[in-house]
Amino acid sequence: MTQNLERSPFWTDEEWTLTQSFLDQGYVIARTESPDTLERIRTHVAKAACGHLGLDIPADAGKFLDDIAAHVDPSTLNDLRLAVINALRSADWFRPAYLALARQSLQTLVGNELAMQRGIGLSVQLPQDDSSLLPIHADVWDGDSSFEVVQWVPLVDCFGTKTMYIVPPSEDRAVQKTMHKMHDQSAEDLYNAVAEKAVFLDLKFGDILLFSQTLMHGNRINVEDTTRWSMNCRFKSIMSPYAQKKLGEFFEPITIRGATRIGLDYSLPEDFDE
Amino acid sequence: MSNRSGYRGYIGSRPYFGERAAQHVQNLVIRDYCQRNGHPYLLSATEYAMNGCYMMLEEVFRELPRLEGIVLYSIFMLPRNRDRRRRVYDTVLSSGAVMAGALENLVIRNEQDIRVVEDIWVIKLLTETRTDKIVV
Repeated sequence: MTQNLERSPFWTDEEWTLTQSFLDQGYVIARTESPDTLERIRTHVAKAACGHLGLDIPADAGKFLDDIAAHVDPSTLNDLRLAVINALRSADWFRPAYLALARQSLQTLVGNELAMQRGIGLSVQLPQDDSSLLPIHADVWDGDSSFEVVQWVPLVDCFGTKTMYIVPPSEDRAVQKTMHKMHDQSAEDLYNAVAEKAVFLDLKFGDILLFSQTLMHGNRINVEDTTRWSMNCRFKSIMSPYAQKKLGEFFEPITIRGATRIGLDYSLPEDFDE
Repeated sequence: MSNRSGYRGYIGSRPYFGERAAQHVQNLVIRDYCQRNGHPYLLSATEYAMNGCYMMLEEVFRELPRLEGIVLYSIFMLPRNRDRRRRVYDTVLSSGAVMAGALENLVIRNEQDIRVVEDIWVIKLLTETRTDKIVV
């Protein structure tokens, strides 16, 4: 997306590699930095789903989530989704745990003074269900700032049409440049214009995806045999510009550093006579 | 029996006439409208942020044959261009659906309703002021 970025001597090798990859592809996929935390989250999700459905806690949470279509259909799916979201949002350990999944990568790509989306999103996409589709979009078109990164966390293996797609930077920018010519066409027409270039991201449980939501992305009908479960949350540098998703109503500062705290609270001595 | 089911919400990501409401607030207004009128609410489509862009509205039009109607957060989310607004009305009504503005509690079912909404629109355009140009 940003060509010819010169390496500053202040970068470590690890930071530089991650940053270059992010700029080249618009996303990075890395193994979670905290596998136990991810397992704890998945177990919590499975328990919440079981509680809602009146089922016994499964021995294999991943298989249970993969095969959830045995217990719900599209008409009852949203109630399940809301029950699980409520269970996640009411757990005070959950949001710090979510950050821990890729904390170092986020600090490298976004900064170490972070604002975090207050309500983490949960997607559950049953096989053949056309009611949970997310048409092609870039979050910046929906009121997000271009300074944000999405942390996308699969709770099951995601592949084929069970996963999300993203449009690579070069194709994305070319289409966005001429998108105004499609003003009387639909989002589906837009998808058709980029479909051949869209990359369906293959992620195993334990992988974490960080992507720039300035890139077009979305999902299609899941024609695989199992159900997609994934979580998403946006992070940005506290001091970077905000768009329609404001600090307070949508974002919360989570890692204000000491010097910034002092700066926020400090004011110069006043009331000197001229 | 009709194959149509539900009212699709339609919210925005940009200010309209300089006014902005958070998306969850827009959804609350639409949900409330649907509840008061006994309409099954379908999760809202979110229009893109670019001025003059109505691609998500066009996307909703694709599913019009399956919908009872569209509920806009506000009628002022319609295109500013009169001909484009007319095309929106025609597309919705010719498909057999209806369109409503939740904030204004206005519904468009026929030509008479369109006239009411258009009167409001024209007056709004005529009286549009920019506070940064007001001198006191």
